[in-house]
Amino acid sequence: MHSFDITDPDTYIEMEAWERLRSIIDPELHVNIIDLGLVYTIRANSALRMLVVVMTLSSPSCPVGEAILQGVANCLEARFADYKTDVQLTWEPVWGFDNITEEGKKQLWG
Amino acid sequence: MNMITKQHPELYPIVRAHYLASAVCFVLIGVLFFFASADFAGHYFQPKLLAITHLAALGWVTMVIFGAAYQLVPVILETGLSGYRLPWLSFVAFLSGLVLLVCSFWRFEPGLCMQGGALLLLTGMLGFTIVIFLTGKRLKNKKENIHQEMINTSCIWLLATGILGVLLVFNLRYAFLPQDHLQFLRLHAHMGMGGWFLLLVIGVSSKLVPMFLVSRKQNLQLLDWVYYLLNGGLLAFVIDTYLEGINNRTYLIALLPAAAFIIYFIYLIQCYRSRMKRKLDLPMMYTVLSFILLLAALLIQPLIINAHVQNTTQGIALTKLYGLLVLMGWLSLLILGQAFKTLPFLVWLKIYGPGTGKEPTPLPSDLYSQKLLIIQGIAFTGFILSMITMALSGLATPARIASGCLLLTALCYLLNLTRVLTHKKTTGHA
Repeated sequence: MHSFDITDPDTYIEMEAWERLRSIIDPELHVNIIDLGLVYTIRANSALRMLVVVMTLSSPSCPVGEAILQGVANCLEARFADYKTDVQLTWEPVWGFDNITEEGKKQLWG
Repeated sequence: MNMITKQHPELYPIVRAHYLASAVCFVLIGVLFFFASADFAGHYFQPKLLAITHLAALGWVTMVIFGAAYQLVPVILETGLSGYRLPWLSFVAFLSGLVLLVCSFWRFEPGLCMQGGALLLLTGMLGFTIVIFLTGKRLKNKKENIHQEMINTSCIWLLATGILGVLLVFNLRYAFLPQDHLQFLRLHAHMGMGGWFLLLVIGVSSKLVPMFLVSRKQNLQLLDWVYYLLNGGLLAFVIDTYLEGINNRTYLIALLPAAAFIIYFIYLIQCYRSRMKRKLDLPMMYTVLSFILLLAALLIQPLIINAHVQNTTQGIALTKLYGLLVLMGWLSLLILGQAFKTLPFLVWLKIYGPGTGKEPTPLPSDLYSQKLLIIQGIAFTGFILSMITMALSGLATPARIASGCLLLTALCYLLNLTRVLTHKKTTGHA
């Protein structure tokens, strides 16, 4: 669960990044990567002009994994052109079905 | 730690060539089916039926399996394909062997063409097997993986089927095999259908079905049982039938693969019930329905054994129906569905992969035509119904209707496949 500090101006950039990433859809499941729980943290640093995304994939063999990672980088670079985006892939903790948000579950169930 | 399986740029043309060649073979089967309508009334061991069966088993089914395996095995084993030159060599050998074998079966000339064709086909199979085994060797995680075991063992069965096939081709000219040719033909067919097709399909689908359904439950222990029961049953069938022919023991042996299938069915039901994705799309619907055709084929097995043990003439019609249900029913419907589940991803990744996130893009499922897929399904239903009537009645009219429906199915499939493969970049959801 990500937290926000309203006294920190970087928080607003992070919040916008979270929302922006809802436009990245898993092409098979048709659910966005935020509701699938693939994104773990987003950290913005306006002093360094850096945006760091730590995320995972449903499996290392995910056939569209490369496209999703590229999509995250493309999406954030397009919105925050003056920031350097670093998308970091992690397998810890391993992604599980519990990561999917209630909204994501609703979308999957149709 | 942060490694993912990437799509190699040389993979796409290999997979595309296999899918296209297979689709053309499917259309050809529809055409040849028409010219051989009258022959379906007779015995299954005759030139035209041999040609069509091999075009279906090798050109239509095995060819697409090779292509799909090159795409999916790296996904299943979580590693890249071992190489990209050998699949091409295997493809060329396999395709040229297929042309030679099918033409010489059709005209029934058991000479150099047929023998050379059989040897080229075997070379193609060997090339495929080497690629799959070498890909497995690249695995960093050496932990036992039942999917890999199934895929590897199915390749061994494929080679065994191919070797026996070559021997049968040479036997047509030199008659050196110690027993009846049809006895070996039976073994050849079952090794191919059970060992190659069924084992491979179970190995691949047991990984992909829960992936597509987003299933919470995957009881992999069940798959161990499936593996041993299926291979045990097949080995027992091959040895016993070679030594004694079909006899009362065959009923007992048939229980082993039947149990394997029931357990696999339980595995699929568990995946289905624990799924997070409720709605099945059309390709997945076809996949589910295809297994019902396999079930129907397996239910005929005891009747075939009975006909052989009792030595009645019903066995021929039932064997034809069994073969048609497995090859043209189960496997065909499986391909007709799964091709549109897997191939659009490959094309989508190639066209839209690098640009995702920059602008709205269509989804892989937007790359094929739903309408064509529906027409394909209706035509295929017509084919199945007329094919069953044809196999049981031996009449020529249902055979002609079946060939018309099959040709329409094949044309829809080829058209839709071409649509996916020739997709041009667009933006926004289609």
